[in-house]
Amino acid sequence: MSQTHARKVETFTADEARVDWHSAALLALRDKRDLQAKSLPEWEQMRETASRMKLYVLSHLPELLEQFTSNCEANGMEVHWARDAKEHNEIVAGILKERGKKKLVKSKSMLTEEVHLVPHLEKHGIECIETDLGERILQLREEPPSHIVVPAIHLKKEEIGELFHEKIGTQAGASDPTYLTHAARESMRQEFLSADAAMTGVNMAIADEGAFVVCTNEGNADMGAHLPDLHIAVMGMEKLVPDADSAALLMRMLARNATGQPSTSYNSIFGAPRPGCQLHIVIVDNGRSLRMADRRHAEIYKCIRCGACINTCPVYRRGGGHSYDYFIPGPIGLAIAGDNPEANSEAWACTLNGSCNNVCPVKVPLRETIAYHREQLAQQKQLPYHKNAYMPLAGKIFGSPRGLSMAMAAARVGLRIMPQTLQRRIGGWSKSRDFPKPPAESFAHWYRKNRGE
Amino acid sequence: MKIALFIPCLVNHFYPEIARDTLELLEKLGHGVSYTQGQTCCGQLMTNSGCLDQARSSVEALGKALLKEPCDAVVAPAASCVVAARENLERLTSFEDFHSLAGKIFELTEFLHDIAPLDHPLKPLRKTVSLQMSCHGLRQLGLGTASELVVARPVNKLQALLSRIPELTITQPSRDECCGFGGTFSVDERDISGKMANDKVADHLATGAEAIVGYDPSCLMSLGGVVSRKGIPLEVMHFSALLNQVT
Repeated sequence: MSQTHARKVETFTADEARVDWHSAALLALRDKRDLQAKSLPEWEQMRETASRMKLYVLSHLPELLEQFTSNCEANGMEVHWARDAKEHNEIVAGILKERGKKKLVKSKSMLTEEVHLVPHLEKHGIECIETDLGERILQLREEPPSHIVVPAIHLKKEEIGELFHEKIGTQAGASDPTYLTHAARESMRQEFLSADAAMTGVNMAIADEGAFVVCTNEGNADMGAHLPDLHIAVMGMEKLVPDADSAALLMRMLARNATGQPSTSYNSIFGAPRPGCQLHIVIVDNGRSLRMADRRHAEIYKCIRCGACINTCPVYRRGGGHSYDYFIPGPIGLAIAGDNPEANSEAWACTLNGSCNNVCPVKVPLRETIAYHREQLAQQKQLPYHKNAYMPLAGKIFGSPRGLSMAMAAARVGLRIMPQTLQRRIGGWSKSRDFPKPPAESFAHWYRKNRGE
Repeated sequence: MKIALFIPCLVNHFYPEIARDTLELLEKLGHGVSYTQGQTCCGQLMTNSGCLDQARSSVEALGKALLKEPCDAVVAPAASCVVAARENLERLTSFEDFHSLAGKIFELTEFLHDIAPLDHPLKPLRKTVSLQMSCHGLRQLGLGTASELVVARPVNKLQALLSRIPELTITQPSRDECCGFGGTFSVDERDISGKMANDKVADHLATGAEAIVGYDPSCLMSLGGVVSRKGIPLEVMHFSALLNQVT
């Protein structure tokens, strides 16, 4: 059993100024998202359309997968289906090793985090270079991402300056973002030129075209894919869309919702390998079809990974992305994996406030899915925070008008006689808040006395 | 209208003045109001933690108590309890009367705005208040338009009601973010919850208001706890207190 989420946030929350800085950085993204969404009067209609389109995809996956695969093959690509993480990693390592490849430049892909691809390839002697700036920073720090879109959002520019000084030889004490970015670009350029294979993720896989879309802001995916003679694209099977119009709809929403840009800077549609080159696509299941069989869980696979739910989540913003057990933090991470009994406090890292539902471009019922995970864990008696012990008792007390009345009267007396200093030392609620001042009598008592029955 | 009061357990035992204000207000507005003894919890404490089975007897006891007196509408001064009572009576009980009961439970704001619109003349009140638009009311009951949504004409039912009070100045914090209460979240995740409550109080204070006014007593309890701990010069009150005062 891993530590509770409440315990894991303690290091992060101890530095309140840093919490405020982190929260403000993410709220800036939320504010930019609001501006962009509100610039399109048809925004809510787009959300509804996108949601229905993705529901269509989830309910027609077998046909769409076959259609996408045969169209890609007709376009000269090679398509591989991987049942799970192990199979995915073996397929990728196999493609690279068969062709004697030694160095892979990769753009950002949450899937490769999910299946732990990089350590696997390194075991096979293949060097992997992350080319997304945020991901590269984390690779140099040997640290996992703390966000799915802005993976190094937890780091300050001074910390990145120190890291770059140590790893790529920038001036000591330099933290100017432009200077650091130029230095990163120069060092990255050498990696691009010496790589013999490229990997990208997939934002949308267009079934009726046999093509896929990759969106980045840095152009790093394109730089990677256009230099070496081998491009491997990896995708979870939920990335499918029926046609180019559907992809266009999601492209109108993705960057607006993620970072408040009308569009990502680079949007490339890959439809065939370049002459003399090879283009492989690996499509991964890794538990998705099993989880989709549960209707109350299936809709998480509508997600297009914009990260807006994470930006708006008040718990994520104040607790940081490294406080979660699952590699995807925030509401979408809890909705995907919040039923894991090994990390059973995760589903409670949420106030059920529902802001995430409202920003989601494809209407994933995040709040309801997280609540569902709580129900599942309750049924398995895998509740965190001593709930297995006190919830049955609470149920009994609250289920009896007499019992409830007596318990509440006792609580009022308790709060009245307990000294303030002791109340403050109980912890939990009273760590930062006083208890209410208890009234002399309940409303029910007052009503009986003053209004009769 | 014949109204049965649903007084959630927290209000009954810790904020009886909210129940009295609600009762008096509805009577002044000309409604026949009754209250039946034996009301328990809406089950939210348990269902929020996924413990559906543990909530059943509480929800049934509440349903039984509310059915004792025939009425046109059940009204409660607590948004999240209304959400839970409706939902739990529907999904945790199989008694048909409970299901139809669920359909006529209203939170006080929505009752005064949508069901029996407030058209009484109100006395002036010189005060500046900051609205606490708590999440269950905002996003589940639709008492306002949440800031995330793109809507041509946003609504705010609490503001609409209170703006009928002459001379009252109404402000709102810069964000409609959760106050961090979240039921047992406030105990389980004490650090994050405490930080959220502190941030929310600071946001209310920055509006220059003298009082935080809201429709959800549990969130108000959390904010009141911060105000008291830090000695912040803000009143924290349920909106029924304001309306009762000027009706």
